[in-house]
Amino acid sequence: MGAGVERIPVVAETDHLREIPPGKMAIWVFLASEILVFGGLITAFVLYQFAHGGFSADAAHVKWRFGAFNTLVLVTSSMTMIRALASARANDRARTQMFLLLTVLLGCAFLGVKTFEYSSEMREGFYPSSGMFWSFYFGMTGLHALHMMAGIAINLMLLIAVTRELPWEFLRRRIEYGGLYWHFVDVVWIFLFPLLYLT
Amino acid sequence: MSETTTGAIDTRAESSLYMMIWAWLVFLLIAGLVIFVLPIPRTAAVIAIFSFAAIKAALVLRNYMHLKHEHLLIYLMVLVPALLFLGMALTLIPDIVYRHHFGLGQ
Repeated sequence: MGAGVERIPVVAETDHLREIPPGKMAIWVFLASEILVFGGLITAFVLYQFAHGGFSADAAHVKWRFGAFNTLVLVTSSMTMIRALASARANDRARTQMFLLLTVLLGCAFLGVKTFEYSSEMREGFYPSSGMFWSFYFGMTGLHALHMMAGIAINLMLLIAVTRELPWEFLRRRIEYGGLYWHFVDVVWIFLFPLLYLT
Repeated sequence: MSETTTGAIDTRAESSLYMMIWAWLVFLLIAGLVIFVLPIPRTAAVIAIFSFAAIKAALVLRNYMHLKHEHLLIYLMVLVPALLFLGMALTLIPDIVYRHHFGLGQ
């Protein structure tokens, strides 16, 4: 009887799933969960604004020039990050290192400007407890800054891995995944900047 | 040898594409700032600024995150949460209109 029983696979294997490397699948699942985190905050901010007639008086105190400069820094860092991946694909170790280092430096520049901005706002008497706008502002930009710190740490680890001359196949995948995270953080800022500084 | 040459050409083509995308991102950033500074009606300015932001995000997603070469499954993984929070916002708007704009249901 046992010999006659046909084994049925519990999970159907499909070619579609096998095409995507597990690491890439994992990073996209993570990014999808991050969309919900930032999406929830952005939705709450927009709806609160809609319900209470806007935050114009408070929003007038944020310094849009700093925000604009940081946007320029961040989109430039996205360009250097993708060029690090292109260099890794061409097996060019020196350029990969250079572009990763530039990405880290631009990330640090972003955080430096943000720190200066926070301190000038606090000197003017605006804290997270100063009202609903400031709670949202410090909450959303602070959470974004934490993601930037994680991105800088990841890029530093990648830089060390490239310097240690680990195999290219290993490096390329990790630079690609690190890059996906970095670009996502850039996309979040692309929406946070007009939301908090320009409208 | 031919592989290396092709690889080098591919990398050059890739790099120039990435530089062009960056130039577009900077241009759209400046365009948004110009609209913000100019005395344009607020609603029109907000629509234009967020349209530029959406284009910038699409450029990054498609070119830097390589979504244009990705599998449908990856697209769905991005679309489902995005639609979820859009749905959440749209579901809550009638309640806000009911409570705050008509002063009902307080």
